[in-house]
Amino acid sequence: MAFVSGDDVWIPSVCGMCPDGCGIVVHRVDGVVTKIEGNPNSPLGRGRLCARGLAGIQLLYDPHRLNQPLKRGNPEKGIAVDPRWQPIGWDEALEAFVERLKRVRAEDPRKLLFCGTTDSSGPPAFALSVFMPAFGSPNAFVCDERPGADAERMLARTLHASDGTSPDADLCEYLLLFGADCTSGARAEKMADARVRGMRIVAVEPFLSPAAEKADEWLPIRPGSEGALACALLNLLLNEYHLFDAEYIRHHTDGPYLVRPNGAYARDSAGGKPLVWDEAAGRARRFDEEGADAVIEGTYAVEEEECRPVFALLREAVRRWTPEAAAEATTIPVETIRRLAREFGEAARIGSTVTIDGRELPLRPAAAVCGPGAYGHDNARPTALAIALLNQVVGSSDVPGGLLGSGSVSFGHPETGLPHWAPGADGDGLMQAGLPPENYAAGRPAFDERFDFDCRPEVLIDHGSNLVMSAAGPERCLEAFKGCFVISVSLYSDETAEALADIVLPNACYLERLDPLPNPAQQQSAAGRGDWAYQLRQPAVPPLLQRRHFAEVLLEVGERLGIADAMNARTNVLHGLRPPHALSPGERYSWEEMVDCIYQGWFGPEHGLAWFRQNGVLTWPKRLEEAYWKPFGQARVLLNYEWLPDWQPCRAQQAQIGFDLQAISYAVPWRTASEACENPWLDEVCQSEPYSYFLCLNPRTAAAKGIADGDAVWVESTSGRRVPGRARLSEGVHPEVVAIAGNGGHWARGMPVARGRGVFFNALLGADSEQTGPASLTIDGDARVRVYKE
Amino acid sequence: MRKGMVIDLKRCIGCFACQIACKAEHGTRPGALWARVVKREYGTFPNVRRVSLPLLCMHCRKGPCLEVCPTGATRKRPDGIVTIDADKCVGCRYCMMVCPYGSRHFQDDERTYFPGLSPNPYESRAYAEHPTGVVEKCDFCMERVDRGLDPACVVNCPTRARTFGDLHDRESAVSRLIDERGAFRLREELETCPSVFYLPP
Repeated sequence: MAFVSGDDVWIPSVCGMCPDGCGIVVHRVDGVVTKIEGNPNSPLGRGRLCARGLAGIQLLYDPHRLNQPLKRGNPEKGIAVDPRWQPIGWDEALEAFVERLKRVRAEDPRKLLFCGTTDSSGPPAFALSVFMPAFGSPNAFVCDERPGADAERMLARTLHASDGTSPDADLCEYLLLFGADCTSGARAEKMADARVRGMRIVAVEPFLSPAAEKADEWLPIRPGSEGALACALLNLLLNEYHLFDAEYIRHHTDGPYLVRPNGAYARDSAGGKPLVWDEAAGRARRFDEEGADAVIEGTYAVEEEECRPVFALLREAVRRWTPEAAAEATTIPVETIRRLAREFGEAARIGSTVTIDGRELPLRPAAAVCGPGAYGHDNARPTALAIALLNQVVGSSDVPGGLLGSGSVSFGHPETGLPHWAPGADGDGLMQAGLPPENYAAGRPAFDERFDFDCRPEVLIDHGSNLVMSAAGPERCLEAFKGCFVISVSLYSDETAEALADIVLPNACYLERLDPLPNPAQQQSAAGRGDWAYQLRQPAVPPLLQRRHFAEVLLEVGERLGIADAMNARTNVLHGLRPPHALSPGERYSWEEMVDCIYQGWFGPEHGLAWFRQNGVLTWPKRLEEAYWKPFGQARVLLNYEWLPDWQPCRAQQAQIGFDLQAISYAVPWRTASEACENPWLDEVCQSEPYSYFLCLNPRTAAAKGIADGDAVWVESTSGRRVPGRARLSEGVHPEVVAIAGNGGHWARGMPVARGRGVFFNALLGADSEQTGPASLTIDGDARVRVYKE
Repeated sequence: MRKGMVIDLKRCIGCFACQIACKAEHGTRPGALWARVVKREYGTFPNVRRVSLPLLCMHCRKGPCLEVCPTGATRKRPDGIVTIDADKCVGCRYCMMVCPYGSRHFQDDERTYFPGLSPNPYESRAYAEHPTGVVEKCDFCMERVDRGLDPACVVNCPTRARTFGDLHDRESAVSRLIDERGAFRLREELETCPSVFYLPP
């Protein structure tokens, strides 16, 4: 790409400052990017950007960016060690990279580990879903999520047929947030509309976060006890106020399925199908057999066993959670819990309907949302389930007004019918999510030797996940990987690169990259009604200096490893490509040719790369059955009542002498991911507001410790680690809590803007197996701590 | 014709997009925040509210800055937009002392966003528009307004909290919001008659 004087263009592309991927237009004048604005033609962002998206220009031109490959000059690895980087050429870097990979692949491909980010699904998705499977290693992870995110995603998938959920901003009237942020990001505008039209928002969380700021009511809660509150609300709705949607439970859940004393479904002896009780006939019948409505309560004898419907067992499972018990666990008063249950149940308007496009659909304008603040604990699974069940019992799941799966159903582009996915029912009548072709596993690598894997990692590729800071406990991460050959693919010489990397490769940022389908597959539109939007990320400028697009690097590496054919095949699987658009074995494709095949494969020959370069975004209206799929389907979702008794308070609540506080982390919308921390415009925002760079304490808690606003203090956790910070006294903090914005406390030499700003929360966490919740297989995202002046 | 702005605090989420949208539009230097957001807490635990208050030049009808400027650098256009002529400004900063809203910034040196380094390609272009030794502030994006566009913070606001228009036109969106939603202005007791109105949170 050569620039002539007089170059003055606006280029449609996609933001890469967070995974939302809003549409942008980039103004380039004489080869220099001069402005980034929202793309008014894209339904994703609708022409408006957040602070991060606008600030991307200072990422592109940050003089501290990596501009050439580096190799470690200091054999010592460790936190805050000077790596003594030595510049090398790309040839030398790739030679070392390929040689290691060849050796590992010959021995055991599983020894290669890849850690990516949820951000910018271009190169990470290609590495996770194409390169790693073709190489033969399943050890590919996304490493920058809160603990417990897996539990929430699993429930989103099993209850809503999607990877994520969102309240119906068009029709919801009562929004109950459990540590969740529904105000910012791509849905900010619709949620503002909802507030103005009078939607009531109740935010349950220990810190008055930027999201809770917009709530009508903030209910401070002891962190990690959100599940107890949700169980008490379920108990009140089901056993005391009788506010539940029996029709929904009967037809859209396994609520009527009979359960034997051993916990298994009672099944019909001939076909093995689950049984329900037909009161009119006075006998059990197959769930799919014609008959009167199945009952959802009572006890029935089936083949001389006492069987009970799932729903009856759910009611039993929550009975121990009286409002009094929940008040004790959560610090929320009994009368508030009672009022909350009644408000939520009544707001759902069970039995009401709404007519949209001539179709009469159930209207349940109440939604309960489980966010990172609630699921980010070792009790993630029962907590997230209890919150999710609030929507199930009032029938507000995937119907107008309720909690909606994001992109659960896609009938595809009107001309091609692609991409297509939709939930269906299995032989037991239970919902199986229809997943888009593009999907990759998320999770964290297990560090602990006691898990006794038969294979240890030998080569680690860290693609911008900054594992040393994003995982719990930096020392443990260091121990686990310092024996590995580590390749860091990064924008900056970050903490992971400096502590661990043998080779650093300079990555292209989103303004320098061509990425096909940069939005996660199920987030091609906001939840609810609206337009589908498929976008292209294209470079506004070519990669500056020696930076390279990592997907192109992997194509070259794959060729040299002899796995190029397998990568072609995996690309076909990832994007569901069929002839004539499928990549052929034996053929070699440039990155641009691959991208062209993907768009043509989905949207036809006239909508290839050239069309998207010109137009940026392809849109078409979402159908009613796509926006609200539940009333149109027969598939039932599992109520999973048997997980609820597993609920226990999170580990960080356990009293330890001398450690009187619980440290929580929270996300700041204008400061997420390392590249936002290194951005000087966003740093200036954090400097100008009162919380992000401080650890927040309730004034009474602080007074008892002799801590004044602005004091330098230490936070020390029971794991023995301590981090420095400055105290901010705020009435918006639960007295048992110290609240810390995530992503602070960088120390890398290569990130001078981020260095020393804020508090490094993750250092307080332990990543030991004994801290991992048995039911959720996740650590607690909180820590038991003490705070003191020195 | 009197240009004015209404900021709906019910819609505003205090996300700082206005602060950065302004910076991106005008390419201002470090420390120059023509648009900014202030956060304040009210009440005591557990009955607490926090309010985010976006601030900018209020383009007052009777702004004290207009009276104290010794060179006539600060003046008011016929459409009510208060501007500073950098060529006339001598950097005396009287206007900063009398502005009740802290909306003015003195550009005292050639700092860049990456201390100790020369300006990057973006900054090199942007800072050419920002001489040092003078006072600067929000000008309601008058160059955009003169082209028929709304200010950058208005068109970008992610929650559509900002509305721009003619306060003298009873039918304009700004006038209707002011009438219907109980608008207020900051420090009305000073009788500066700001052109920026707020709707309650």
